[in-house]
Amino acid sequence: MRVPLSWLHEYLDFDLRADELVDLFSLRSQEIDGVYRLGVIEGEVVIGEVVEFGPHPNADRLFVAKVDLGGREVQIVAGAQNPRPGVRVPVVLPGSVMSDGTTLKKAKLRGLESYGMMMSERELGISADHGGILLLDDSHEVGRPVAEYFPVGETVLDIDVTPNRPDLWGMIGVARELAAILKTEYRIPEPSFATGGKPTRDFGLRVEAEDLCPRYDLRRISDLEPGQVAPLWMRRRIYAGGMRPINAIVDATNYVMLETGQPIHAFDAVRVREGIVVRRGRTREKITLLDGSTRVLDEEVLVIADEERGLVIAGLMGAEDAEVGEETTDALIEVATFEGRNILQTSQKLGLRTDASGRFERGLDPNMVAYAMDRVSALLTQAPGGRSADDTLSHYPEPVEPWRVPLRLGRAELLLGMPVQMEEAVERLEALGCEVEREDGELWATVPTFRRDLRREADLVEEVGRLIGLDRVPETLPAVPQTGGLTEGQQRTRLLRRLLADLGLSEAITYPFGPERWTEDLGLEDGTVRLENPLSAEGGHLRTSILPGLLDATARNRAFGARGGALFEVGNVFFADVPQDELREAALRFRMTGERGVQEAGRLMGVREVSRIGVVLGGTVRPAGWNVPEVRAGFFEAKGLVERLVPGARFVPATRPYLHPGRSAAVLAGDKEAGWVGELHPEVAGRFGLDGWPVAALELDTALCQPAPEPRFEPFVNVPAVARDLAVLVEERIPVGDMLRSVRDLPGQLLTEVRVFDVYAGSPVPPGQKSVAFGFTFQGGKTLTDEEVDAEVWRVLSRLEDEFGVRVRS
Amino acid sequence: MTVSERIEQLKSEALSAVASGASTADLEDIRVRFLGRSAELTEIKKSIGTLSPDERKEIGRSSNLASREIEAALGSRAEEVAAREQEERLQAEAADVTLPGVPFPRGHLHPSQIVIDDVIDFFVGLGYRVAEGPEVETDYYNFTALGIPPGHPARTMQDTFFVDDGLVLRTQTSPMQIRTMLAQEPPVYVVCPGRTYRRDSDPTHTPMFHQIEGLAVDRGLTLGHLKGTLGAMARHVFGEGVEIRVRPSYFQFTEPSVEMDVSCFVCGGRDPHCKVCKGAGWLEMLGAGMVDPGVLEEVGYDPEEYTGYAFGMGPDRMAMVKYGVPDLRLFFEGDLRFLRQF
Ligand SMILES: [Zn+2]
Repeated sequence: MRVPLSWLHEYLDFDLRADELVDLFSLRSQEIDGVYRLGVIEGEVVIGEVVEFGPHPNADRLFVAKVDLGGREVQIVAGAQNPRPGVRVPVVLPGSVMSDGTTLKKAKLRGLESYGMMMSERELGISADHGGILLLDDSHEVGRPVAEYFPVGETVLDIDVTPNRPDLWGMIGVARELAAILKTEYRIPEPSFATGGKPTRDFGLRVEAEDLCPRYDLRRISDLEPGQVAPLWMRRRIYAGGMRPINAIVDATNYVMLETGQPIHAFDAVRVREGIVVRRGRTREKITLLDGSTRVLDEEVLVIADEERGLVIAGLMGAEDAEVGEETTDALIEVATFEGRNILQTSQKLGLRTDASGRFERGLDPNMVAYAMDRVSALLTQAPGGRSADDTLSHYPEPVEPWRVPLRLGRAELLLGMPVQMEEAVERLEALGCEVEREDGELWATVPTFRRDLRREADLVEEVGRLIGLDRVPETLPAVPQTGGLTEGQQRTRLLRRLLADLGLSEAITYPFGPERWTEDLGLEDGTVRLENPLSAEGGHLRTSILPGLLDATARNRAFGARGGALFEVGNVFFADVPQDELREAALRFRMTGERGVQEAGRLMGVREVSRIGVVLGGTVRPAGWNVPEVRAGFFEAKGLVERLVPGARFVPATRPYLHPGRSAAVLAGDKEAGWVGELHPEVAGRFGLDGWPVAALELDTALCQPAPEPRFEPFVNVPAVARDLAVLVEERIPVGDMLRSVRDLPGQLLTEVRVFDVYAGSPVPPGQKSVAFGFTFQGGKTLTDEEVDAEVWRVLSRLEDEFGVRVRS
Repeated sequence: MTVSERIEQLKSEALSAVASGASTADLEDIRVRFLGRSAELTEIKKSIGTLSPDERKEIGRSSNLASREIEAALGSRAEEVAAREQEERLQAEAADVTLPGVPFPRGHLHPSQIVIDDVIDFFVGLGYRVAEGPEVETDYYNFTALGIPPGHPARTMQDTFFVDDGLVLRTQTSPMQIRTMLAQEPPVYVVCPGRTYRRDSDPTHTPMFHQIEGLAVDRGLTLGHLKGTLGAMARHVFGEGVEIRVRPSYFQFTEPSVEMDVSCFVCGGRDPHCKVCKGAGWLEMLGAGMVDPGVLEEVGYDPEEYTGYAFGMGPDRMAMVKYGVPDLRLFFEGDLRFLRQF
């Protein structure tokens, strides 16, 4: 809501700078979105009379005028050609500051001195009209400041009105609010108007769709002078209020809308057949609107029609052939209240929103109708010289009465956390328009019908609290009667993230929706959850894997010159889990009402979400240093991460369509599959723009990771451990992991540690075989003798011989 | 030359050899030469038995004395030489200490997550628990239970991604408040962090963003408790010196509703050209309010017995302010040039 301050001053007196007003309004009522300036901010604008006017001798498009400023004559160069000798014009003098912050200076234009500037309507902040100089009539006295007739500059506050306060969509509501904040009085115009015009009852009024139209009033204003322009004061207020001046009749309706918040529609009475009918649209009924668009209606759309055709989509926009225009002399004025939700639905359905619909959709007060009708009547009988009918047709079957709401001071003090004096509460509520009675320490407020948001005690508490000032509420801390903490799962996720960051990876957060190709390019089966209204076709599918988002990011990093990178992300993946047919109805009821009956909520959700951790290593993960070799993305780099995330994991070869078939594995945590690890299939890498780069990745269920296993003390003895190495030859196809497990599983062990420190194939190892070097550590309850260690190594070796056919490498 | 004289001579030869011995190896040679098994002094000692008792005593004494003296000289010289040799060795091992060390590269947590972790730690310290929930949410939990039934104007304020009949990508983390209250009795002290989604995309809006909501329901909770809690949190996140202020606002599920500003932690409101607060002195930080009695009733709590407060903040925006990031879209591109700065 745009609030021109000079207009606001008409309703109440206040002595505040714009910035003070912004602070006060923000802290007590509504947020201010911005402060705009129009016209001349500072300086002098006087009325001049053009004495001479002619072309500039040195420029084709310029003109030069001699202007009498009341006793002195100045020369002014102008770009507009509409002034003639004898007309009166506003002249802004050098030294004045314009709304864009520039200071006007005496200037020489193409060799001629120019003293000040003759001004257009736009330059004065009256309208967007910049077609010529504003010509003033003879009532404006030459030499006087223009400001004596109308403001030459304007400050406009843009209030960001919250949806619960439709009353603030009018200047009077804003004035009332400010008066309540300042504890002062406000005044509203008393409408008076000429009557005796043609009777409204020549026309009929029938409201068929009562549920969508609580009130509809119609009044005829006849004897209008055609072709009139609204008075300048009205036009500049409409313009400052953010609308466009159009003609005297439309401007009067818009002016009253800005003033009261109540939209008003004017029909040219000549074009209305018999009477007004308020009805639902008919299937496939069409209406061509003022903006030239043709809309197809349905039964949910409320239409204002005559007996023959639709004239207006209620609350939104009129048809072009029933509107008032230049030639209108006889008008029917509609002031009505429509059901807000229906207006909103129609607005959304048609993709059409207007100043009027924005007000109707919040739900307006039907009791505002009469005042707005009188106000617009008064304005229409002034400038365009119309006369109001003596009668008004009104359909208002169920008048809205004020309602009573209790307020216990104790409750207010509890919710606000500060003392509230009875007198203060009464005064504040009365300032908002409530009538307040006191009963046994309780207050009962009779709420005016324009404050539909004040229904319950808590609503009144808020009003009292904010008007007293929320800054008065002291800061205190509650005594929380429980211990805080993270659940096991939350701790696990946090540890996972910290661990990977400590290992040198960077945490990414990517969008969980992407294009269909995510699924296709990874060769996954479809099972994706789709969005009905994605932002673009590229974002219509919810991810079933963390991988594609990280691959896209990796490709992007590569495109921007990165030589490699290690990214991880913890987030949810989504699987369609469509309820069985017989549960469809129960599912819908659960989703809309929360009722699930005997069903488990999980079976009715339709989507299964799983938290996953994903890692993508690409290119050179760690560059070479002067004393260390580079680390490139590969299976074993990724596997090393898995071994930290899932201690004791088992790895079994497993193929997934997007992984290298020979360099990938399923990860088993106990008997559960925790995820996978592997190098990306080169074909898939190509599809993601990663051709020729080594890419390794992993993805695990976070719930199955164990980044910090619970420690358990194992006793040890203080005797030295003994290390022995052993190299064996074995068939190349034998998995080393199997050999390791077999060694570790040997019963009765003195062996405390075994590691593989070399694997080698090729000469001199015979073809088809590989050499595997193990390092063992033995530890006994006493210092082991060489013979005892030899016996242990022999035991290990015979196990390997038996199971895998190894030979000692000599 | 008498034997005694010879001993003296050998001693002085040995001592001068020791004095000029330059290395540990030299000194070992000298030892062998003068004190070894076949050294002359050793021979003299071996021959003592053939001498007269007087001579025996005299020669025995002087030869032993000479041996000890040479031994002592060798010992102290060896120490000197060893010390010098070690010094030389260390000199030779000197490295260019300006060369980089072996890399133990650090990784990086996402800036939004840093803020989320920080905020959560604060609330856990106060005694709050943490609740998380599904991102695909039902219409009921996301809207209706929060006082926004179908057709309500507030629904148009949130551009919603629709998934299926009655399912949406949650537009806020508030549904977790409902789920939490339905699952337990008061007192409730909980924070709900998570991803949220709205159909919106420009430099300050991304279709996905994070929220952290908090909810407290207990006997006797007031707006003062809300202010105190949020003020303490702001000081935890932005520094001891910051202040907060609350302004009236409107949210469907709180009454009264407020918005909270934090005083500019960069300029404290003293710099009209401040890049962080644009000279306003205040930064809009979050929305909050006292839980609407209708919401309490919806989950079966008695609003006469219990009051509560709720708040919601945007950790992405907080990170933007805290770290001076101008464009929200950077947060979700996985760009290493961005991520490596945190
Ligand atoms: Zn600042």
